Amino acid sequence: MASLETHQLLIDVPGRADGRCLDLRMQPGERWGVLGPNGAGKTTLLHTLAGLRAPRAGEVWLDQRALARWRRRELARRLGVVFQERHDDFPATVMETAMIGRHPYLSPWQRESDAEVALAQAALRRLDLEHLASRLVSTLSGGERQRVSLATVLTQAPGWWLVDEPTNHLDLHHQVATMRLLEEQASAGCGVVMCLHDLNLAARWCSHLLLLYPDGEACWGPAEAMLEPAALEKLYDQPLTLVEADGAPVFVPRV
Amino acid sequence: MTRLLIVLGVVALALGVAGAASGEAGAAVCVTDDAGREVCVERPAERIIALSPGVTELLYAAGAGERLVGAVSFSDHPAAAAELPRVGSSDRLDLEAMLALSPDLVVAWSGGNPEEQVERLIRLGIPVFYSAADDFATIASSLERLGALANTQATAHQTASQLRAEVAALRRRHADAEPVSVFYQVWESPLMTLNGEHWVSQALALCGGVNLFAEQSALVPRIGVEAVLGRDPEAIITGGRGKADAAWLDAWREFPDMTAVRQDNLFFINPDLVQRATPRLVEGTRDICRHLEAVRERR
Amino acid sequence: MNDADFSFRGRAGRMPPLVWLLLAALLSQGLALVLGSVAIPLDALGAVLAGGGESLHRTLVLELRLPRALAAFGTGGLLALAGALMQVLLRNPLADPYVLGLSGGASVAALLAMLAGFGTSLVAGSSFAGALASTLIVFGLAHGTGSWTPTRMLLTGVVMAAGWGALISFLLTVSPVEQLPGMLYWLMGDLAYADSPWPVLGVAAASLLVMLPLGRTLNVLARGGLQAAVLGVNVRRMEWLLYLLASLLTAVAVTTAGSIGFVGLMVPHMLRLKLGNDQRLILPASLLAGGTLLTLADTLARTMVAPQQLPVGVITALLGVPSFLYLLYRSR
Repeated sequence: MASLETHQLLIDVPGRADGRCLDLRMQPGERWGVLGPNGAGKTTLLHTLAGLRAPRAGEVWLDQRALARWRRRELARRLGVVFQERHDDFPATVMETAMIGRHPYLSPWQRESDAEVALAQAALRRLDLEHLASRLVSTLSGGERQRVSLATVLTQAPGWWLVDEPTNHLDLHHQVATMRLLEEQASAGCGVVMCLHDLNLAARWCSHLLLLYPDGEACWGPAEAMLEPAALEKLYDQPLTLVEADGAPVFVPRV
Repeated sequence: MTRLLIVLGVVALALGVAGAASGEAGAAVCVTDDAGREVCVERPAERIIALSPGVTELLYAAGAGERLVGAVSFSDHPAAAAELPRVGSSDRLDLEAMLALSPDLVVAWSGGNPEEQVERLIRLGIPVFYSAADDFATIASSLERLGALANTQATAHQTASQLRAEVAALRRRHADAEPVSVFYQVWESPLMTLNGEHWVSQALALCGGVNLFAEQSALVPRIGVEAVLGRDPEAIITGGRGKADAAWLDAWREFPDMTAVRQDNLFFINPDLVQRATPRLVEGTRDICRHLEAVRERR
Repeated sequence: MNDADFSFRGRAGRMPPLVWLLLAALLSQGLALVLGSVAIPLDALGAVLAGGGESLHRTLVLELRLPRALAAFGTGGLLALAGALMQVLLRNPLADPYVLGLSGGASVAALLAMLAGFGTSLVAGSSFAGALASTLIVFGLAHGTGSWTPTRMLLTGVVMAAGWGALISFLLTVSPVEQLPGMLYWLMGDLAYADSPWPVLGVAAASLLVMLPLGRTLNVLARGGLQAAVLGVNVRRMEWLLYLLASLLTAVAVTTAGSIGFVGLMVPHMLRLKLGNDQRLILPASLLAGGTLLTLADTLARTMVAPQQLPVGVITALLGVPSFLYLLYRSR
């Protein structure tokens, strides 16, 4: 299976000391959560994992091969990224936006087949966007746009999901729906890496956690081992209270 | 009487006027310029600035060339004019340079010089003669009026009379000539011609030529090739870009069905002779008449 | 039928707008043949097109109007296509080759050639070189020592354009009076300079053939460099291709007809407001609509105050600006 690994990886956060080299071994079926305060390099790490940004040192390997040795198009069929920032300068409908997920699979002259249109339609249905299919993305709310981005990656159907703040702008219902979607993808054999700022979402939905400290320090492992209140308090520089709800730990900031 | 002379002498001294040198103190000369203004000089103008190449040429023709102290760019005729100190170009005058030359007469080009700059000269008390010569009659009278201001009446009058006589002779000779329709090409890209108000149209008329675009409202209208083909002139005359430039005429040979091309009535005339309204225009007119005679012979 | 269905019905679904635009293009060509300062009756025009007719009419239609109408079509198409490409490149719907100073460079070079007294063909060659030089300067400076971003490129282009504008004013100031009309007409765009329509038409067809298969890639690129890279696009290579192609198209257009503004900015933008932003549709539509607009504008320029001729750039602006503003106002 296609594992995602980092070898002696140092992400390049400008103006920061090197910190700890990352030696992650991430397997399909795992749901990795990246936690850390603002500016710790969560997004930078995600972009480095996707091959969009050169690391300061070390390498990212997908399926036993360094990213640099993959062809961009091949990589695009295996890695999907949900960005935090989106460019909607040009008018485009929700359906058109979901359809660009099929780009890595089509040759230049080829047009989207009916099967691919069906795939995009299914993705829209899955994300509760079917009724918006012909709307312009620029007319949607922030949460709706976030779901369009998820639908695009769902249409792309990659082996690895790299998701930057998947629950940004989402209401509670759609937060849960989104986390459920990612969980579903993982149990279908995909790997998921998500940057999260909500500790409790991470505690509830992630199988593994990577804690990124602002000074470049890092630690990682299975979620239950990482959810140490002391480590988390140090991570966020914030005292926390641990309570339990529905059998899951919940961290509440102490004021 | 004696007292009056004394008073005048004192005033003259008080004003610091070295009137004795020119010897004609108090003999103010006034003429009417082409803008209808009265222009007066206290003494014959000795430091004249001409604000267009054409005006420079007129002043030389009026015998006042030696009294010119400044001219604008492209003032190249006669050869001596090229040596005159420059005071900018006709559409952008260098007022400082002009004042430094301390002129006692400025001959401006009506419509060609910036109005504000010329008006400032007038406000500074410098006599300004507006010249708008655009036909033979005005050219001749301009010579005489400028000659009066510069006290070169003799030369001016002679040149003017000669011009009038030559024009009259041309008119007599071609009074009954068969009309020839003419396209006069000013420029190639864009293609430009002249309307009926331009002096070249009058020169054409003198020779029995008819400007095909005389009715246009613009003095130098920009037209299309199609319009020229549609009106099918019997002759095409152009000054080209300069000396004997045949390229513009050859371009018309692409259309062998045109009467002018079929009859080989494509003529070059020296643009220097017709582009300025000066006495040289009569030479250009003679050339045009000669060409139109050839057209009639080829019929 | 909603837009989503429409956009993904495949080939048959996207024909209608192109068919309409093609009809409009043919109509504009027909109009350009019928109208002129010499009135040609329709039956005489038919005779000419059938291979007969009066000799004067044949000359007017076949040697003057037809090549010029085709050149107008090709030039307008090139400008609109170049605009559409630049807009994708800069991820800015209001970018166009003129904003980036390409036409400014071409204009300065052309005016210098006119000032030196060169003939039409040397002026054309010079303007081509000027456009390409401006291209390289803008791209080189936008690259600089740091990273390339659309904003940086747009700013570099805008500043270059302002610089060229100042040089143009300077050249107009020092030029002899008899040169000025030619220069001004060139600066406002004028198809009377077009010798043969084949270069523009050939380049237009060739560039459309190059770009059509890349249409979907451009759609992805329009969503930002990172998104495009994730979807398998070689962003750097694609951006180079877009920039060079758009510059080449602009250079050829400017060389043919002087500097005509507004077409590259307005046509793709108006089409996007109506047809969405699928480049596979927008690129051929821009070519057709740009060509149609310029053909109509040139026909007006030739005939409005015939036999006097107006610069076509004035007409494109007078036609384009109000309709552009109206569309913008109507679209939310």
